[in-house]
Amino acid sequence: MRRAGLNRLGQYLIVFVVAVTLNFILPRLMPGNPLALIAGVDVGLLTPDQRAEIIEAAGLNEPLISQYFDYWKSILTGDLGFSYRSGRPISELIAERLPWTLLLAGGALVISAFFGIILGAISAWRRGKKLDLGLLSSMIALESLPSFWLGMLLISLFSVSWGLLPSFGAVTPASDLVGWDHVRDVIEHAILPVATLSVLSIPGVYLTMRYSMLEVLGEDFIRTARAKGASETRVLFGHVARNAMAPVVTFLAIRLAFAFGGAVIIETVFSYPGLGRLVFESVGGRDFPVMQAAFLVFTVAVLLANLAADFLYPLLDPRTRARNE
Amino acid sequence: MMSSKKVLWILTVCLALVLAACGGSDTGDTTTTAGGDEPGTTSGETPDTTEPSDDPVVVRAAINNDEDTINPYTYVTGFPGWNMLMMQYDSLMQFDADGVPQPWLAETVEASEDLATWTVTIVDGVTWHDGEPLTIEDVKFAYDYFLTNAAGRFARDLAGVESVEITGEREVTISLAGPSPAFDQVALGDIPIIPQHIWETIEGPSEATFDIDVNIGSGPFKLVEYVPDQSYRFEANPDYFLGAPAVDELVVVIFADDAGALAAIRSGEVDVIFDRVSPEQIELLDAQDPLDISQGPEFTTQMINYDATKAPFDDIAVRQAIDLAVDRQDIVDTVYLGAATVGSPGWVHPDKPVYNPDVAAVYDVDAANALLDDAGYADTDDDGIREFDGQPMSFEYLTNAEDSLRLRISELVSEMLADIGIEVNVASVESSTWEEAVWPGFDINNGRNYEMAMWGWSAPVQANTIRLGQLVHGDPGKGFLNLTGFDDPDLNALVDQLEVEGDPETAQQLLNDIQAQIAEKLPFVLLAYPDGAYVYNSDVYGDWEFIAGQGIVSKVSLLPAAARP
Repeated sequence: MRRAGLNRLGQYLIVFVVAVTLNFILPRLMPGNPLALIAGVDVGLLTPDQRAEIIEAAGLNEPLISQYFDYWKSILTGDLGFSYRSGRPISELIAERLPWTLLLAGGALVISAFFGIILGAISAWRRGKKLDLGLLSSMIALESLPSFWLGMLLISLFSVSWGLLPSFGAVTPASDLVGWDHVRDVIEHAILPVATLSVLSIPGVYLTMRYSMLEVLGEDFIRTARAKGASETRVLFGHVARNAMAPVVTFLAIRLAFAFGGAVIIETVFSYPGLGRLVFESVGGRDFPVMQAAFLVFTVAVLLANLAADFLYPLLDPRTRARNE
Repeated sequence: MMSSKKVLWILTVCLALVLAACGGSDTGDTTTTAGGDEPGTTSGETPDTTEPSDDPVVVRAAINNDEDTINPYTYVTGFPGWNMLMMQYDSLMQFDADGVPQPWLAETVEASEDLATWTVTIVDGVTWHDGEPLTIEDVKFAYDYFLTNAAGRFARDLAGVESVEITGEREVTISLAGPSPAFDQVALGDIPIIPQHIWETIEGPSEATFDIDVNIGSGPFKLVEYVPDQSYRFEANPDYFLGAPAVDELVVVIFADDAGALAAIRSGEVDVIFDRVSPEQIELLDAQDPLDISQGPEFTTQMINYDATKAPFDDIAVRQAIDLAVDRQDIVDTVYLGAATVGSPGWVHPDKPVYNPDVAAVYDVDAANALLDDAGYADTDDDGIREFDGQPMSFEYLTNAEDSLRLRISELVSEMLADIGIEVNVASVESSTWEEAVWPGFDINNGRNYEMAMWGWSAPVQANTIRLGQLVHGDPGKGFLNLTGFDDPDLNALVDQLEVEGDPETAQQLLNDIQAQIAEKLPFVLLAYPDGAYVYNSDVYGDWEFIAGQGIVSKVSLLPAAARP
């Protein structure tokens, strides 16, 4: 068991090194130059000498390989460096934004898990019936909705037409709200982005749950449960749903990690001050150090989620535990 | 029919789910949201708009990019960063509504006859936000500071300055290496005066990190709060030397894109947008009460670039044919719905005093075809596309995907050039990619990686007519904005002459000649100068001043009428 665990960690280490290297290479493969960002938009007004000076100050004239080693050094020392644009420490930029992204991703996860699991269970229970077919086809339709479009639709309905909810940001700017008023303000601002993210995440959870349920429904122990006279509700929740949860939990763990990436579009549409927006801005301006750092956070999130799922799975499903030992 | 019904049904399901999701979020997170779905409690945050008489006037403005701490050393962009910077600081001169610099912190501004020495006397009794007096030492310090710390826009403004000396109790004399006829526009109206007692304590500004405590200026507003990626909050300076501003608080909200800002002004969550709105939005916004539009000509440009170092664009006949074949009026009418000025082939905007009225755009497809026929570009294989050197005249035309107006112009250009047997394939790519192809590394010594491309310059390039050489000179050291690689000895000689010409009349003659030469030899094809149109909520504040190149949200708009230049 211990050796297997070490092996697994070794695999993760390799994946980490490869991912970090890609994080370094990919941004630099994109055509484009961070000079405009460092100097401001009017690159046209710089003299050639001033341009050379800026490039040197930012270390852009150094050979790629030494930039690459600097990058590793910064990862290992935890010093992520400074943004080309704002000159501020990147760790600070990320720390400011990470909680907002966690709020959106976490909120959407809870909501999509709730609806996805319940609807998936119901759908599988009534397999082949009208309800199942209706749910299944509408979930597939939902899944194919573009997220920016759904976000804009919600803004135009709930903010522009009905004036019910704020259309942008995480809090009301310059409002000096404190205590419960502040909490309420934050929630009101989170509703539309969380709703958009949730609506788009529900189908995945639903499909996983439904499929997993159908598998369990065919198992012998369900017939046994029915045979011994357990009520339908008890069979559904006590036997089937419980055993069908393992793949869903794995799916949710990985989904949480990917929600970081999905937040890029949602946070842009809702001008939400999270990590995704930071990525959007840094990619647009080729702010290499910020891109690398943000992608690093994504990489670590995905790896941790996978790791967690790997270790959770045996706890949920004793059959996989046996195989490991 | 079936499909639209289905879509409607899906939407209903979506909405139901969304509503359910909202409830879930509320009850799950807190117990105090009982009234959370009460209509109208969240959108109109400023309850003061109904009775504006006594309550403070708060204006909420939208921008599309975080501008960081907007201090004079690190602020990010010319627009709107500079506008926000200058809320807090003053320059010696201030642009009026016609874009002409007027004395501001300066009481008088005098230029020597050769325009190489500028003498400025400053107003008495101005104080900084912290109560310290603003002195002539601060003025000298500010100019010296930007001369020594070479990063950024203000150092560029001061190219050619040899010394800044205090020559009186309230007087400085600025000496330049040569005549600088536009020094008032380029430098005096642009450079913020910064307090010596704050900035002399900042060592190594290129490494320093700034917080907003540094932002002590003399301007009508003081930055009191900055939340990254969210907002700025400026408070009025009641002791401003020209009188307290007409607006008590300015909140600047940072959006991620312009669609977000547009939704927010329509929902009443912001009151004005810094950036101009696109032509197709103008009517829609104007029709909505209480939104209004302020509109006028501006000096940005839209043009066709081509690689003039390569065949067939190295042939003047081809360039002239393209110029004749584009219907600029059609572009203005179709793409801009009239909200633009037809491009002058000689580069200079017709509203500029130095414009040569003899230079005008001509649209003549027959003449263009005749030019190409005479130059030997025949369509030998009858496919509707002419050939050069045995290849079809078929080119990739790059444009940046983020700008839908440019994309539409590109499509029109493609159709127009098809009329003269040139095939243009529009390729829409992401901004940085497009920039890197047209202007690799922002250094023309790196050459060009495009055949044809949409391009445009910001307003300052158009303002700088005295430095036209940067755009067209064939020597890369001088013509460092010459992205098409165009090189013509006559034009080179003319722009060289212009740069050192001290006599305004001779300079104007040279400018007329240069415009005529550009229009004839066509280093690029200028299509249009888009208008600026800005939207604001007139219920909150309606006294906006349109300043070409600066939009409506600048400090002038927030001052009482009597204090404006």
